[in-house]
Amino acid sequence: MSHAIEMRDLHYRAGKSFEIRDLALNVPTGAMYGFLGPNGSGKTTTIRLMLGLLRPLGGKITVLGGEIPREAPRVLARTGYVPEQPHLYQSLTVDEAFRFHSAFYPTWDRKWADELVENFQLDRGRLLSRLSKGEMGKLEMLLALAQRPELLVLDEPTDGLDPVVRRDVLTAVLEYVSQQNATVFISSHLVHELERICDWVGVMDRGRLVAELPMHSFKNGIKRLRVANAPALVGDAPFVLLSREVGNGAVETWIVRGWQPTMTQYFEGVGAALREVVDLDLEEGFVELLRTFRSPRN
Amino acid sequence: MFRMMLYTQWKWSRLLVVAGTLVAFAIPVLSVQSAGEYNLQHWEARALLNSIESWGLAYPILAAGLAVFMAMTAWGPDHRGRHVYALSLPVPRWHYALLRFGAGAVLLAVPVLAVWIGALVGTASAVIPPGLHAYPYALALRFALALLFAYAVFFAISAGTTRTAGYILAGIGAIIVVQVMARAAHVEFDLVGTIFGRMLGWPGPLEIFTGRWMLIDV
Repeated sequence: MSHAIEMRDLHYRAGKSFEIRDLALNVPTGAMYGFLGPNGSGKTTTIRLMLGLLRPLGGKITVLGGEIPREAPRVLARTGYVPEQPHLYQSLTVDEAFRFHSAFYPTWDRKWADELVENFQLDRGRLLSRLSKGEMGKLEMLLALAQRPELLVLDEPTDGLDPVVRRDVLTAVLEYVSQQNATVFISSHLVHELERICDWVGVMDRGRLVAELPMHSFKNGIKRLRVANAPALVGDAPFVLLSREVGNGAVETWIVRGWQPTMTQYFEGVGAALREVVDLDLEEGFVELLRTFRSPRN
Repeated sequence: MFRMMLYTQWKWSRLLVVAGTLVAFAIPVLSVQSAGEYNLQHWEARALLNSIESWGLAYPILAAGLAVFMAMTAWGPDHRGRHVYALSLPVPRWHYALLRFGAGAVLLAVPVLAVWIGALVGTASAVIPPGLHAYPYALALRFALALLFAYAVFFAISAGTTRTAGYILAGIGAIIVVQVMARAAHVEFDLVGTIFGRMLGWPGPLEIFTGRWMLIDV
């Protein structure tokens, strides 16, 4: 499997309180990769390192086959980036922002940009400082898409947008991906949004990658189990026990990862009884994953 | 690419450029006009030179002022966006900085031209006494060099982070503290004066701003 983005042993520090250490991340080419994490977990910093906006203290980053930051300009010419905060020059009009942006991208598709302007109902003559948050979000997405990138890096692209605009923006991304087979790296803390569109997921917390796996594994692999007569020690369980809580009576609630239906035999072997297996949705799985990661054992 | 960079720079600094151009044109014209008909017609050379010299201070002040504001407008929008946009564009950082610098420098050529044209108009509208000569080209060239030098310095400072500005201020502060301590200790040591002398006198970098800026001279 080829990777559009690869990070190895990445190390970065911002001040005394925040550090990314030993980060390894792989985004398969053509994937819709959801980058999940709570606020302040290091998602934006990781993206900025990935695009060469920040310089790492150590480690290796390769994006679209180019080494970052050495080959950042060549990589950026093939990458559409929508940052977390609006970053365009506020004193320009929409049309001027187009002209300025397109001057830097030889692959700029003017015809499609015009179509997107119509679809997004943007006023070409309006100053960027006068655009609403939704309009600015659409403009940022438009600029990223109209350069026909091989890789789209979207940092919380729908954060703060109303549902209609959010749908417009995500629809434009999905249409583009279906046409171009581009790779999309999308960071968000809106778990349900990523659940619908992504086929890979990476979870970050406190500057570390907690998990990276295909979305279906993430969604199906994390379960809540109700276990009667649970053993004190788990021993060689075929799954990963994320947490356990004592409930009413002798029944405990276990959160496990990597669950398969055939694993029920384990409980018979240790003298316990599995009463119930509950599917967790992505958000619950995400919360449990973070809770485990943050527990004192880790 | 450069065309769009020039366009944005023009949009951000057009008021400055227009105002600077008007002032740049007016200074040489007014310097000759204010010398007075009497001095020109009666060939009062000393009075004429004194009058021209008194206007000379306006050129370096205008050059420094234009340079500061052009440098600020060159980086201001990028500072407001924390440079994320500029850094995410597919050009090396040095290339982007060069484009920004070039755009500002091109726009600053307009006031330089205005000084030159103003100097030509001013000197053409007066009869210059024998023994004196007009130097419109030399004046405009000196103004251009001073403007470019000041712009380069302020552009570099303005491009820096708050930390860089802090280092510069800390350096200036350290010089002042050393001077104050030397005074307190009754040590004959004029650090500030020495530095100013080295900077402003030949071959110091700021020498171009000092001395006489004469449109008409012997």
